[in-house]
Amino acid sequence: MTATTSLEQRPAEIPPGVVSRRRYRLTRLATPFLLLLPAGLLYVVFIVYPIFRQFDISFFNWHIFPGVANPFVGWSNYTRIFHDPEIRTAGFNTLLFLVFTVPLQMALGLFAAALLTDRLPGRGLWRALVFIPVITSWVVVSYVFAYIFADQGGVANALVSIFAGHTVHIDWLAQTWTGNAVIWLVSIWKGVGWSFIMFLAALDGVPRTLVESSRVDGAKEWRVWRHVVIPNIRPTIMFVLVLLVIGASQVFTQIFILTSGGPYESTQVVLTYAYQQAFSYFNFSYAAAIASLMAVIVFLLSVLQIRLLRQKDIS
Amino acid sequence: MSIRQLVRGRAGVAARLSVACIALTASGTVIAYSGTGLAAASAKPKTVTLQFWNTYNTADKEASTMAKVIIPKFEKLNPGIRVDSVQIPYGDLLQKFITSSAAGNPPDVLRSDIAWVAQLAQSGVAVNVGKLKAFAAIKKDTLPGPLATTKVDGNYWAFPDDTNTQALYWNKADFAAAGIAGPPTTINQMFADAATLTVSSKQQYGLGVDGTDIWNMAPYIWSMGGSFTNANYTQASGYMDSNATETAVTALVNLLNAGDIGSDFQGGASAVSGEAGFPKGEYAMYIDGPWAVPTYSALSPVPSYGIAPFPSGAGGSVSTVGGEDTVVAKDGHHIADAEKFAEFLDSPFAQLAMAAQGDMSTEINDAAKEVAATPYYSVFTHQLLTARIRANSAGYSEMDSDWSNELGQILAGKVTVDAGLATAAQEGDQALAGS
Repeated sequence: MTATTSLEQRPAEIPPGVVSRRRYRLTRLATPFLLLLPAGLLYVVFIVYPIFRQFDISFFNWHIFPGVANPFVGWSNYTRIFHDPEIRTAGFNTLLFLVFTVPLQMALGLFAAALLTDRLPGRGLWRALVFIPVITSWVVVSYVFAYIFADQGGVANALVSIFAGHTVHIDWLAQTWTGNAVIWLVSIWKGVGWSFIMFLAALDGVPRTLVESSRVDGAKEWRVWRHVVIPNIRPTIMFVLVLLVIGASQVFTQIFILTSGGPYESTQVVLTYAYQQAFSYFNFSYAAAIASLMAVIVFLLSVLQIRLLRQKDIS
Repeated sequence: MSIRQLVRGRAGVAARLSVACIALTASGTVIAYSGTGLAAASAKPKTVTLQFWNTYNTADKEASTMAKVIIPKFEKLNPGIRVDSVQIPYGDLLQKFITSSAAGNPPDVLRSDIAWVAQLAQSGVAVNVGKLKAFAAIKKDTLPGPLATTKVDGNYWAFPDDTNTQALYWNKADFAAAGIAGPPTTINQMFADAATLTVSSKQQYGLGVDGTDIWNMAPYIWSMGGSFTNANYTQASGYMDSNATETAVTALVNLLNAGDIGSDFQGGASAVSGEAGFPKGEYAMYIDGPWAVPTYSALSPVPSYGIAPFPSGAGGSVSTVGGEDTVVAKDGHHIADAEKFAEFLDSPFAQLAMAAQGDMSTEINDAAKEVAATPYYSVFTHQLLTARIRANSAGYSEMDSDWSNELGQILAGKVTVDAGLATAAQEGDQALAGS
């Protein structure tokens, strides 16, 4: 505290050519804000403004065409959501996606991180292999999986045919459960690397002395994890959980490419449904209402998760 | 640093250069403007180029007939107007037109699917062509079905361009092998024949139904007395889930469960379409438009088949009106010239030239001439007299998708006919109201 105060009180060195101390201090204060300005402007233009505009649009019967009247319709787009049977399917599928992919991504990521923390031969290569899917484009990955699970000439059917002893033509992406399973699989495969890297960093931060002393005291491995490792990486677990839940609520690309929400809307999720409403049926206001409600739900869900995990921390 | 210092200093060189550039640009602009004025006084009349977006097929002569026969004739009759015909894939056309209209730069003329006209009209991007003097004559000469596709909220928003409908294609060899003398004339007979014509060992289905969407389903539903919406296209409840519609859907479900309808009904990657399966003997009967005939004529050997009117039921013999309409963009740059071109597309010359390429004429007076030139049109022109249009509403696409999805769930056995149709009707109401 004393050191900080003395640093703050130390007179600033004024570079030659600068007229006054006051102007120099002003420049020094303004510099970080000026540096942040371009990014801040982009954030406001491309993130903040669209969010508010989306909420705004959701209360009107909004048309994309300039000059066409956009009458105010109040909450009617929101009440429509509660009477729309298709949004129920889309909401249920989003929930299923979240329930299947988030825990598995976390568990597999933690498992891989635990495995690759120790000095294994070729550790760097293994780490890279786990992480490569994360940096690969969603579009590329989705098309690769579409090829793997293609009805005709797909790799999956070729493998099943080998085990079955005869040629099989399973239409993976045209059936509800197999279609959903492929979507979950691609999402987990691509997402594991991200939670792996988070947990890897967290595990590196766990004091080795704590782990080793508990082992010396005779604690079995699962007890070491339960009472030493997990409590130490709890903030990372919370962070990964919150971000994965947000990500799962926003799932779009892989479903759009693999099944387009079909067959018969059975793999539709909330955002693909909102997209369909906006760009297939041009119901922009209804789509905006769906997206706005989803944003509120995700926000509340995140707050709830953080609070619950914090309470556990305190207790 | 004062302005004087700036001008005198090193930075002043750059400043002086900038001022000089601005001055030069300004004077250049003045010269350019005055040049235009001078040129305008002595030049020929300006040539206008109309952008005409369409989905004409480039694989056959449809696109080339438009580009090499119809457009040159129009340009000859209308000096100073050129037409640029641009082919765009069907799946992209509506979205592309909507976004370009929103940006204030649409094409002048759009050859629109008849199912989009209501959406374009209610969005305010189409010209109300009903107010044009020339439209009165066109209205009088057009078949009632195609004309109805252009009418939304009491006004006309497009010129009828071409029309079509479905009729029953039946395989003569399969019918003879099953001991059936000719095509069915009633729906009940059609379903009974489908059972007789199904030969599992040959992978031959009695009937092919090309999907669960309204275009493919409507002939069965309407002909059996069912319906999708009320007359004003504002309500699906009470129509999509009516007893008659339920009876029609139940009959088709029973036929599918008995194995008499092929893979095309439920779709999927392995499904074989009617047009692909019929000449190979996979389907003994199916319904299709006139465009299948040239396809079959190009096969070797040409399959032995007949075309008959759609069988009658409690509601008569009713098929679906298909085709395209010509929309003039409200934000187009040359509306008057675009209207001239759209009107020309309805002239007997253009209608008959395109009819020879598979786009049936919408004009009442052309029927005899086009049948004389293309005899297989006979059944279709006859069928058009009782054909009905689908819902002329901006919510049609969404309602169609909802109906198709619910019927898919019914066929997959996930919901009962009753429950599925009730949900489809509820969703249909929302789609029509949302529009």
